Amino acid sequence: MSVETVESSAGPTPRKGISILFGLTLLGLLLFLWLLLGFATNSFWTPNNISNLLRQGAMTAILAVGQTFVIITAGIDLSVGAVVGFTSVIVAWLLAAGVPLWLALIATLAIGVLIGAFHAFAIVRMGLPPFIITLATLTSLRGIGLLITNGSTISITNEAFTNFSRADFLGVPSLFWMVIVVAVPAYIFLHLSRFGRYLFAVGSNSEAARLSGVNVNRTIYLAYILSSTCAAFVGLLLASRIGIGNATQAEGWELQAIASSVIGGTSLFGAVGSVHGPLLGAFILATINNGANLMNVNSFWQRVITGLLIIVIVYFDQLRRRGER
Amino acid sequence: MIGLHEVGHRHEGKLRTPAGHPVPKGEPILELHSLRKNYGAVEALKPATITFLSGEVHAIVGENGAGKSTLIKLLTGVITRTSGEILWCGEPVQLASPNEAISRGINAVHQEVVLCPHLSVAANMFLGDEMNRRGLMRKRAMTDAAQGVLDDLGFNLPAGAVLGSLTIGQQQLVATARAAMRGTQFLIFDEPTAYLTRQESEQLFRLIRRLQSEGVTIVYISHRLEEVFELADRVSVLRDGTHVGTRAIGETNEAELIALMINRTIEQIYHKEHFTAGETLIETRGLSGPGFADVSLTVRAGEIVGLYGLIGAGRSEFALGLYGRHRLSAGEVFWQGRKVEIDSERRAMELGIALAPESRRDQGLCLNLPIGLNINLPVFRRLTRGLTINRAEEAANADRQIRDLKIKTPSRRVLASAMSGGNQQKIVIGKWLSHGAKLFIFDEPTVGVDVGTKAEIYRLFSRLLEKGAGIILISSYLPEVYELSDRLHVFRQGRVVGSHGYRTASHEDVLAQAIGA
Repeated sequence: MSVETVESSAGPTPRKGISILFGLTLLGLLLFLWLLLGFATNSFWTPNNISNLLRQGAMTAILAVGQTFVIITAGIDLSVGAVVGFTSVIVAWLLAAGVPLWLALIATLAIGVLIGAFHAFAIVRMGLPPFIITLATLTSLRGIGLLITNGSTISITNEAFTNFSRADFLGVPSLFWMVIVVAVPAYIFLHLSRFGRYLFAVGSNSEAARLSGVNVNRTIYLAYILSSTCAAFVGLLLASRIGIGNATQAEGWELQAIASSVIGGTSLFGAVGSVHGPLLGAFILATINNGANLMNVNSFWQRVITGLLIIVIVYFDQLRRRGER
Repeated sequence: MIGLHEVGHRHEGKLRTPAGHPVPKGEPILELHSLRKNYGAVEALKPATITFLSGEVHAIVGENGAGKSTLIKLLTGVITRTSGEILWCGEPVQLASPNEAISRGINAVHQEVVLCPHLSVAANMFLGDEMNRRGLMRKRAMTDAAQGVLDDLGFNLPAGAVLGSLTIGQQQLVATARAAMRGTQFLIFDEPTAYLTRQESEQLFRLIRRLQSEGVTIVYISHRLEEVFELADRVSVLRDGTHVGTRAIGETNEAELIALMINRTIEQIYHKEHFTAGETLIETRGLSGPGFADVSLTVRAGEIVGLYGLIGAGRSEFALGLYGRHRLSAGEVFWQGRKVEIDSERRAMELGIALAPESRRDQGLCLNLPIGLNINLPVFRRLTRGLTINRAEEAANADRQIRDLKIKTPSRRVLASAMSGGNQQKIVIGKWLSHGAKLFIFDEPTVGVDVGTKAEIYRLFSRLLEKGAGIILISSYLPEVYELSDRLHVFRQGRVVGSHGYRTASHEDVLAQAIGA
């Protein structure tokens, strides 16, 4: 990796310009897909389908934003899918036990904070690699969730809660509004506040950041807590959408989140990433799945297409970076 | 005694050895005709015509950004030329890939060691070229052979040791030994002594002379002109991407080379102004920590305190301990007369201590981030208004440092990795100027930095002292600490073994203390 850093060093790269350009390319790809599907199917540009698409993409998008914070610090959070399933169980369980809705929501988000803090603790204090500790909680959390429910599901009877995911606001699904609720503060945090700069610095060279007075440990806590809290939030949205708590839900969503982030231009080596990139990445993936469904493409093929897309987009991203020097 | 090339080639026939040398000594072996390299609109190397003669030591000198790195990359096939012609042994060649360069016998030893730190010394020396029997590695045989080469070179290094456990200087010697045993005809050294101690440098010079006597052509790139005069037969000077001349070493002198390099004469590189020492900034009493013990010293406003010693003598460790990076085990620190506990880097910064660390790449810079972000890293707290950073102030602060320090960049958005060594050092310094510290610790500030930038850094020292700051200057380069320090402490094995005033001891005495002779 160090060799790559040296290699990419030869020419000046005005960073900001590229980031915007890349964002526009992704946006172009997304619009192109929408146009294409509009011509290829009759049902794509129907209000029903668009709402559906926005709902589908919303949850991955929020996970991807949280995941991006972690990846920028040169880490990885494999547990987010498990956290979604686990927290859907927690909120269903709390509501079934008669806990008031507002308290159940706050408690569930607090569980997300705790999980993230535990990840950071294991990384900072116990010296475990992020890949290992989040892999461990991935399997443990699903296990604990299954223990709580004894392997079955908990139904949610609170209508105010379940109606939320079906509701619209100003004609746009409330789930999509939640993306905005997450993305705006996330943008301010990552791109406009000093903590965002610290995330990049830690991901680039944590020793240099430390010697420049950056509290590296706190920065790592922040990244993992944000990721897990985003996942817990998605757990709430999922529970609301399907009306049950089930620890096996959201299987493989961590990979969707990582894929969205990477498609959105985040570097798995750290120190490169944005908030708008993963959002676009998530909706590109959602559009492909949606379009494939409409065109009756075998769902197994959707997985293949997603994989190919990751290869193609990241390859072009690499070419572009190399071309810049 | 085992011959270098015998060991390298007992198992490896495809590389040519200097024994079958096609070019007689003194004839052109590599000729560059109007060689040019552009990066987009930037002309990194203007048409250069240089001839390297077989069996000579040909030094290349020039400031940072003069085009030396570009030239090396062209010769080693890392990048390809924009135009021009390269003749190898009289025939035109492409040198389109590192493999092509290596197969023709062109090798390079880089300033920063590019080997695998987790493997053994022997494994690194044979990397990509392992001895094996029916597909299984002959580990013992390789270790023995590697040890033979190292002993033969007089390097006194264990072939079985893990590379990462050696000092950077020792790793550099391993890299050199590796290149030497590969049947190289043309070996390029890029700033090889930047991280070496004096003894290690001497070992390296012996190796270079020996390779030369075996017919290898050497290209030697260095900022240290005294090394050039010690080793080279001829010297070429680059300036701003232009080849400005080649001289036989006997027909030139240091002053002429410097004049060619920077296009102006500098009477005195070591620019030393004396200021009246002011209040005591910091005082340590019996300070001990990982890698150093019982260090007592004082730094006052307006003075430079030099710490000299060999690499690994505990100076950098002392600096990191003082800066709160490592936990102290004993002793006391007084800051402006008040006893303080510096338990974190943040605390050190709040007191007014700044550290420009030893390794720019590992400790000093976030290389794949923009220059502006690097400069502002210590001061983002100050630049924050409410929740967000004041973008205008952020930009203004970065631009001010870039302008004041004359960092050669088109924009603050350029990545730090795109800068040459000297400009990178300026970025590290810029961080602390904008933070506004009282005590500056400079650890090896001029390693890999050209003469012109060195002089700028020394003038900057004077400016800092004038404003009432104090400086701790750590250097392995004796003339530098000797000429600049108001007081000089010599370190050996983690302890202060000698203290001197400005020019009160001789070079020989200081060196003897550092070596322990």
